[in-house]
Amino acid sequence: MFVRNKSTLNERIENMAKVTFVTESGEEIMENDGTGNLMEIARQNDVDGIIGACGGVCSCATCHVRVKPEWMERVGRPGEDEQDLLELEGRADERSRLSCQIEMTDELDGLVVEVAPL
Amino acid sequence: MSKCPYHDPFAEKRTKGPILETEFDGDPVAMILGLKDVRKAARDWKTFSSDAPFRVPIPREENLRSVRQFPIESDPPEHTEYRKIVEPAFNRPNEPEYQARMTGLIQEMISETTSCQSVEAVSEFALPLQSRALTYLLGVPESEAQTWIKWGVHVLRDGDGPTKGKEMEHYCKEAFKRSSRWEENNFFSLLNEATFRGRLLTDDEKLGFANLAFAGGRDTVINTVCLILAHFAHHPDDLERLRKEPELVNCAGEEFVRFATPLTHIGRKCPADTEVHGAKVKADQLISLCWASANFDDTVFDKPTEIRLDRKPNPHVAFGNGAHTCLGAPHARLIIRTLLTQLTELVSSITFLSGQPKIEKTVDYERVNSFESLQLRLNLK
Ligand code: HEM
Ligand code: FES
Repeated sequence: MFVRNKSTLNERIENMAKVTFVTESGEEIMENDGTGNLMEIARQNDVDGIIGACGGVCSCATCHVRVKPEWMERVGRPGEDEQDLLELEGRADERSRLSCQIEMTDELDGLVVEVAPL
Repeated sequence: MSKCPYHDPFAEKRTKGPILETEFDGDPVAMILGLKDVRKAARDWKTFSSDAPFRVPIPREENLRSVRQFPIESDPPEHTEYRKIVEPAFNRPNEPEYQARMTGLIQEMISETTSCQSVEAVSEFALPLQSRALTYLLGVPESEAQTWIKWGVHVLRDGDGPTKGKEMEHYCKEAFKRSSRWEENNFFSLLNEATFRGRLLTDDEKLGFANLAFAGGRDTVINTVCLILAHFAHHPDDLERLRKEPELVNCAGEEFVRFATPLTHIGRKCPADTEVHGAKVKADQLISLCWASANFDDTVFDKPTEIRLDRKPNPHVAFGNGAHTCLGAPHARLIIRTLLTQLTELVSSITFLSGQPKIEKTVDYERVNSFESLQLRLNLK
């Protein structure tokens, strides 16, 4: 498995919250230089399968991820708007979230999400 | 003319059932109307196939072009491979330099317009904007747009359709030869060099890709741009709101696309006898995915005939859904978002002078799809 870590040696960045995206092909992409929501972090780092077409306004669902079970509680449940869109997706399940609706915080340091197939 | 030229011609039909059994070109077509049903069918390519040259657009286009369009008129797994060939070109709008160019273009065009007493927004604003912006996507010199503008709003369908379709195809054939003089990785040279399953693309395949890039992204963009301008002319409060809340631009952009739904529907062919929500469809007959009906489905959208800049969620299907989701969407979204931002920056108000709605007349419905002509004045800030 190929692990890409785009962090620099800069200590400030080293201390930032990390998130790992497991893409469909099994590639694990670990990011710890991101701020903003998970979709934006994924886009900044060209994570395969996260498109974010609508720019994060709950319209396109091209930012669909599945949260690892052990992280579900901390990440939380989808909001109402998000849930409505997920229900239309067909392929959503109880671990599904739209990554544009998840703000990266220190609390989520170490988070692992799987990129859902489009 | 009513202040809001839009209506949803499918509202009553949806209350009667999930399908409108109608006809186009003398053949039966079962139109799927509800949002959930449309989304589901759009993803079920085995039952509802795009492997139907000239028949994915409705009405069919045998007389308007000589080649099958790619990647739209193909199914997976071929479709996936065809689509991959052009994906890099269609993703260029994600680059910051591309976005900066778009801002520059739209600023220039708005500034030119505001110095005029009035502007015919379809032919003097939206069409040149669409064509000039397309030169960025295709990576060709901006001067090429002069030729494209002359093809008119639809290319394939405007007035004397066949002639213009031919003219466009002739242009494309020449462009494949001229492309080595243009910037690296332009759309035409990309297709010249592309391979499909270990061989170069055929001339017809290349032409099919180019044909769609010109035809698919034309009236769709033009209609949406005109709808936005007319909306702000009739609803100055919405322009003010966007000025005060610029963070709504992405949301508002999606809402304008939903409301405009410039591509009313698209066809799919049933390879086998199928029953679609009670309607019997014989093998080789068409169904249609009616994006325009789905986007006004009031079981999903609250007050769908209202434009709400902050509508969220907004699961519209104006760009389609599933494997064939619009490849030009990043480009179209960039045009729309940039237009919204620049209007708030440069324009104080828009005056509506006159407008002639564009009406799609079919056997069973009439749909207003933006404007045939739209006379406006843009008032500088
Ligand atoms: C507001 C503007 C636009 C709208 C509403 C729109 C709408 C659509 C829709 C609904 C589809 C799906 C067709 C299907 O399922 O069979 C589609 C596909 C497509 N569109 Fe657009 N479009 C727009 C702009 C553009 C632009 C600017 C371009 C290119 C310059 C473009 C190129 C394409 C292509 C190549 C496909 C085929 C994708 C595939 O088959 O995989 N579109 N468009
Ligand atoms: S980016 Fe469109 S829904 Fe998340």
